[in-house]
Amino acid sequence: MTTSTSLPGSTPNAAPLLAPASGIPRGPDSRAPRGPNGKRGVSRSTSYSLGNLIVTIILSLGAIVMLGPLVWTFSTSLKTQDAIFALPPQWIPDPMVWENYLRVWSAGPLLSGIRNSLIVAGTVTVIGSVTSAVAAFAFAKLRMPFKNAIFLMLLAGLMIPFPTIMIPQFMVFAEIGWVDTLLPLIVPGLFGNIIMIFFLKQYLENVPDSIIEAAKLDGASYLQIFFRLIFPAIRPAMAAQFILWFMAVWNDYLAPIIYLNTPEKQTLQLVIASFNAQYASQTDYPLIMAASFIALLPVLIVFIIFQRQIIESVALTGGKG
Amino acid sequence: MSTEVHRSTPPSSTAQPLKPRRSLLHKREHKVALAFIAIPLLGFLLFTLYPLLYSVYASFTAWNGLAAPKFNGIDNYIKMWNDPYFAKAMWNTFFMMIGIPIGLVLSMALALGLNRKMRGTTFFRTVYYVPVISSIAAIAIMWQWAYNGDFGLVNQVLDIFGIQGPNWLANKDTVKPALIIMATWKGLGYSMLLYLAALQSVPRYLYEAAALDGAGTWAQFRHITLPMVRPVTFFLVVTSIIGGSQIFIEINIMTPLGGPEFSSASIVWYIWRQAFNNLQMGYASSMSIVLGLIIFVITVIQFRLNRRNQFSID
Amino acid sequence: MKRSRLIAASVAMIATTGLLLSGCSAGAADTGEKQLTFMFRGGEDEKAAYTTAIKAFEEANDVKVKIISTTADDYATKLKAAIAGKQIPDVFYIAQGDIQAYVNNGVVLDITEYVEDSETLDLDNIWEYGVDSYRFDGSLVGEGAIYALPKDVGPFSFGYNKTMFEAAGIPLPDVDVPLTLEEFVDISKQLTKDVDGDGELDQWGTGLNVQWSLQSFAWSNGADFLNKDRTKVTVDTPEFAEALQWFADLSNVEGVTPSTAQAQTLDTYQRWMSGQIAFFPVGPWDVSTYADLDFDWDLIPYPAGKTGESATWVGSLGIAVGSTTEDPELSAKLVEYLSADETAQQTLVDAGVQIPNLKDMADTWVADSTTKPANKQEFLDIVNDYGRALPANNTYNAEWYDELFTNIQPVLDGKQTAADYLKEAQPKMQAFLDDANAQAGIG
Repeated sequence: MTTSTSLPGSTPNAAPLLAPASGIPRGPDSRAPRGPNGKRGVSRSTSYSLGNLIVTIILSLGAIVMLGPLVWTFSTSLKTQDAIFALPPQWIPDPMVWENYLRVWSAGPLLSGIRNSLIVAGTVTVIGSVTSAVAAFAFAKLRMPFKNAIFLMLLAGLMIPFPTIMIPQFMVFAEIGWVDTLLPLIVPGLFGNIIMIFFLKQYLENVPDSIIEAAKLDGASYLQIFFRLIFPAIRPAMAAQFILWFMAVWNDYLAPIIYLNTPEKQTLQLVIASFNAQYASQTDYPLIMAASFIALLPVLIVFIIFQRQIIESVALTGGKG
Repeated sequence: MSTEVHRSTPPSSTAQPLKPRRSLLHKREHKVALAFIAIPLLGFLLFTLYPLLYSVYASFTAWNGLAAPKFNGIDNYIKMWNDPYFAKAMWNTFFMMIGIPIGLVLSMALALGLNRKMRGTTFFRTVYYVPVISSIAAIAIMWQWAYNGDFGLVNQVLDIFGIQGPNWLANKDTVKPALIIMATWKGLGYSMLLYLAALQSVPRYLYEAAALDGAGTWAQFRHITLPMVRPVTFFLVVTSIIGGSQIFIEINIMTPLGGPEFSSASIVWYIWRQAFNNLQMGYASSMSIVLGLIIFVITVIQFRLNRRNQFSID
Repeated sequence: MKRSRLIAASVAMIATTGLLLSGCSAGAADTGEKQLTFMFRGGEDEKAAYTTAIKAFEEANDVKVKIISTTADDYATKLKAAIAGKQIPDVFYIAQGDIQAYVNNGVVLDITEYVEDSETLDLDNIWEYGVDSYRFDGSLVGEGAIYALPKDVGPFSFGYNKTMFEAAGIPLPDVDVPLTLEEFVDISKQLTKDVDGDGELDQWGTGLNVQWSLQSFAWSNGADFLNKDRTKVTVDTPEFAEALQWFADLSNVEGVTPSTAQAQTLDTYQRWMSGQIAFFPVGPWDVSTYADLDFDWDLIPYPAGKTGESATWVGSLGIAVGSTTEDPELSAKLVEYLSADETAQQTLVDAGVQIPNLKDMADTWVADSTTKPANKQEFLDIVNDYGRALPANNTYNAEWYDELFTNIQPVLDGKQTAADYLKEAQPKMQAFLDDANAQAGIG
């Protein structure tokens, strides 16, 4: 929640870019959270602390609910097969076996699954983010006839259920020979993502037009404006959307199912799904849970690393969008 | 559309160029804008429009997915009108959207809680966000197990309170609430974060002024906080409705046969089943078109309503 | 300045895409070798068994076989997508119920000529039931040209917990004469009790899933789902209502099963495995899992209704040749291998995945008394005598059949009588059946 991202030197109007566009003067401690009744001050600190305590308790209970299923997954993955059906169910496995995490690597093509998922998710998000950002800039800041109609049309593309467009799409890709390659999963994404565009467009509303007009009059080209003014400003927002898009692609399941044949080409989610099908009938739930947990780890790690960026970007975007 | 109205900045105060120069300036801007928009537009035309149009065509055919489609006029649409399962699936889908306002209220409450100055907010933020980033397939498998009548987590917890939990996924009255709970659980962290950010950028002086005028906590919340976070609410409602209408993977994994007495079958699940199990791809396409149109209309209405409620601070 | 930047950016993107293209489609390089694609679904055991057979096939015929495997749930989707995208595999699994649709739409090849005169295959040594399941003469499945060979036949048999019977001092059921429905209920009642004295039942007579067990009781009571030429749904007969009512009464009136809700989850299966259930169905795919159970069990004929004769269903999965294959003869040969190659069959049988496709192998397998169950002959009897196809397997699609089970819960809960329900359901089912038949071009 800071104005720490300063713009590269070109325009003198750097600072106000990140302040609310309406130019409200802000006190030095305006960012400090205030209590729900808007009051601060020493005299209310006891009731405030009490409030904090209550809130913390409630949040902790909620956190248990949030984490419960995930902890259960982890716990199940450490059990022996019979222990799953023990009544009353055990939270701490006894005996605790870690072998599932070893078995998991040979039980299916997990490693190549991770590699393929990385290739697909990485390429799509990196390139697609740039194309989306450029388009968001145009939608938000540039003049063009029918701009809004086009935006609504792109948004409408989300409204038809995937199973319906899946088959015609498959027919097209089959015609050009892209079946059993990663291409049908990558190429469409390179052209941008309408959710990301929507989000960045909202955010760019906060960037005053006057700055862009000034830059234009200074003779800057639109690309220069984009790279020098816009891109740095929306970087946090892009970071957030980048992560969310990465996760969406990483977790995608339907498209890989129909396009990928060879086990070595399959993405991680397919491998997990086949685990579930294969081993569920043998009630080898610990193995399935171990595989599911491993699948969660990469995105969890990415999130923990990037979460500061997300908070900041969401903060900057949520204000006036 | 929202773009025009959101502009709360004063119009550019630089001198207006002479008429011919301005149109030239704008024309150049049009071209650049088109160039920038061209990429997603091209993607849309290549990868979405053709399948979309094909689906529209297919909705007027009797197509079994094996051979070429055969035109049959509006037979599919008539069939849909008379199909009780279509109506039931639509009902199920929209019923499960009840989770959306519940989720928004809960995440707003959470955000208010995390907005306080206290320790552990970072930890809680992470914890509440974890379900969001997990794969829906893994989550569905997990929850399916959690809802198990005998060994599941949910009933174990209820057992602590002496409540005999039902067999959630096998009982037609509890299966939809069960799915709603799971969906809300998954989406809570995301909405919470957005609200948190919005809350933290509401100017303090507004609250101070209101307090001076004698407004109580609730009044401040209603008249300052809520309106100021409306843009986030808008984004969330629009995207949640679009997403909620497409709910499919959870249903397919947790209740593979559409639930007890078809009570958890979502419309996309039913479309899927018709297309791939019953060799009715033409019919499935027509249902998809109808769904898409309904959602489109709802979205446009939302955008219009939103525009009318815009305001800005001067 | 900006234009060249734009051009530069576009060129960069095209170059990247080009690199991706070349990198990713490297697998398409052909060496001029013959190649067949084989699409199937299955677990690790099947994959392993087939891989060996396929290797032998590849060597003997100088061909490369590309194996595409999916999970059971995704198979239908993937196959349909492949067909729509004109990528029909050369050889693939086909469900019994799909034969009609696939033949009518020209998806599978008629392989009668290859199969009947084959040197590697003796058609008479494969179960008639299996081969006939994939015959189609244009209107009815079961006769006519052969479009696939069976991957397996899966007789759905009935098992009982020997240890439980012996502990309770009840005489073991006869392996040849089926129990009557009354006897069955009687024994179940005796075995439904509270074993550890804690006031709650922990042992039951049985716990059946209506979707897989109703057929047996309906058929053995003289009822059926369809008429002979599959144009009429016949579930509203008194015999059928009787069977369904009896089934529901097992839970509600006789009280010999765990509660109905529980019967729909994994639980009765788990309870059987923990030794809490006296009677439970057994398919060949269960044999390997059940081998480790800590009680003794065996197979008996299904209890019989009015007709006095047992009945049950036999599942099957076939292997067909895609109509767009470039080498029909070779593809047909692969089908024969997968269906009848002895090594592959032996591996599958040893892994407990299925019963042998080959009659002579089956006889040897039955005679082997070291493996469970003792009464393996029961499986063969089902295939040879009293087994039938699941009702929806011979119709264009299963919509009419699914309809029966979608709203059947109230009957199982005792809230509606079977007769009433069937009266309501029959017209709906008939409508779906008519629809399906219209699409199939018959009736």
